[in-house]
Amino acid sequence: MLSMALYKREMKGSFKLLIIFGAVISMYVSIIISMYDPEMMATLDSFYEVMPELMASVGMSTGATSLIGFMVSYLYGFILLIFPMVFCILRGNGLIAKYADKGSMVTLLAAPVKRRTVAITQMSVLISGILLLILFTTGLEAIIAETSFPGELVMPELLKLNASLLCLHLFIGSICFLASSIFSDTKYSIALGAGIPALMYILQMLANAGEKAEAIKYVTFFTLFDANGIAANESSAVFGTLALLIGAIALYTIGTAVFCRKDLHI
Amino acid sequence: MSVINVRNLTRDYGAGKGIFDVSIQVKKGEVFGFLGPNGAGKTTTIRHLMGFIKPKAGDCQIGGLDCWKHRDEIQKRLGYIPGEISFFDDMSGKEFLKFVSDYRNAGKDNRIQEMLERFELDPKGKMKKMSKGMKQKIGIVAAFMHDPDILILDEPTSGLDPLMQNRFIELIAEEKKRGKTILLSSHMFEEVERTCDRIGIIRNGKTVTVDSVETLRERHMHTYTVHLDSPELAECFARDFDGICDGNAVTVAAKQSLETIFMSYYGGEGNA
Repeated sequence: MLSMALYKREMKGSFKLLIIFGAVISMYVSIIISMYDPEMMATLDSFYEVMPELMASVGMSTGATSLIGFMVSYLYGFILLIFPMVFCILRGNGLIAKYADKGSMVTLLAAPVKRRTVAITQMSVLISGILLLILFTTGLEAIIAETSFPGELVMPELLKLNASLLCLHLFIGSICFLASSIFSDTKYSIALGAGIPALMYILQMLANAGEKAEAIKYVTFFTLFDANGIAANESSAVFGTLALLIGAIALYTIGTAVFCRKDLHI
Repeated sequence: MSVINVRNLTRDYGAGKGIFDVSIQVKKGEVFGFLGPNGAGKTTTIRHLMGFIKPKAGDCQIGGLDCWKHRDEIQKRLGYIPGEISFFDDMSGKEFLKFVSDYRNAGKDNRIQEMLERFELDPKGKMKKMSKGMKQKIGIVAAFMHDPDILILDEPTSGLDPLMQNRFIELIAEEKKRGKTILLSSHMFEEVERTCDRIGIIRNGKTVTVDSVETLRERHMHTYTVHLDSPELAECFARDFDGICDGNAVTVAAKQSLETIFMSYYGGEGNA
């Protein structure tokens, strides 16, 4: 099912990116959580009054009273969406399309290893990376929140929130993986794998920003990730998460099937 | 029984490109030369054999197994040198060979060390910095490390210096003695005529002829015996023109270029 030799090599390849993204996320998470402070909240709310569209477009809204609400507003609208997404894009493209483009796919296929195994291994590498990033973020959030504001953060809420975030990124990863499997040319693989999530995010920003543009939210998958709803235990938010998870499984499966069937001019 | 069996394989890329109705058979223990100019369809045929692309028409089998459906099964006993070498640039040669042997499950009892010594290769440097010849040597080591029964070699000596080309030809001769089945593609007649039993010529995607080396050589190599004034002159002449000296007489062979050979098969419409 899995080629350990390839998995090890690819995880080594993910390592540097994981360190960089881990560091960036650490910085933002620690700064933002430490900013949780009623007085500071007033300042941020005043920003919101001055430029509500801009603040809302990056998912920051006013009225976050609890720590988790504060984190949802200031971390789950931009930072924790964008950085793991960029990781998915970079890694997703490198796992299959780059090999096919450069011709080094020959090494992987001129061996008694099924294409299915190659695809599933590469998929596992991507999923492992996403999982590590989200687990790291969760641990970090819990530690920083507990040390700065003991007892303020409700752990089950955080876990639910990050489980939903994980599903979102698994879905984004599956788009990148599918693009990587379809195209043997990194140009197109990146165009699709990076283009779709980026476009969706921009649409999400537009939908957040204006009332007239709110209808746009029905065309972007980011709407399925409803951080406030998850924290508040709303069933529609749970369904959204499930939809993302099912979508991810479907796209990973299709990606693998496409890779197994396609002609490789390598 | 033939180990490699390509039957009426067709793959049309449009604009006259591709391969059309290609059939070749390679018997067990035979070295088969697959000869053709650049862009003739050698690599396309080999890609089918490797299971990289699915035949549009016709079929190909190795060891009785379909090359597309059972590609991973076939790979267990197959060694392959790709026509265009592209490995993992981020690795050193040593790391790469270690990776390939792990990936293939080649085990400790592999031929890496033997091959490295044979081709005087030190694989320590980064692959990115390696010369074409060094990468080619790495490719040779990777193809032979698991001691496969069947070898598919796509222009295996490109980038190698003449000394190493000779070493490679010696290697092929040894492997042949050990009963290996070898398909060797090349665009150089000299290379295949030194190693192969039979030769198949492909041009513009069509197999032109399949013949034994002797037949082709007889048909396309003309030998002349020249008589010179003195044995000394004869010796000089033999040295300069690569002939065989016998007293005053020198026998020289005129080899035709591959292109000329093709022309003789195609006649006037050689470029059609």
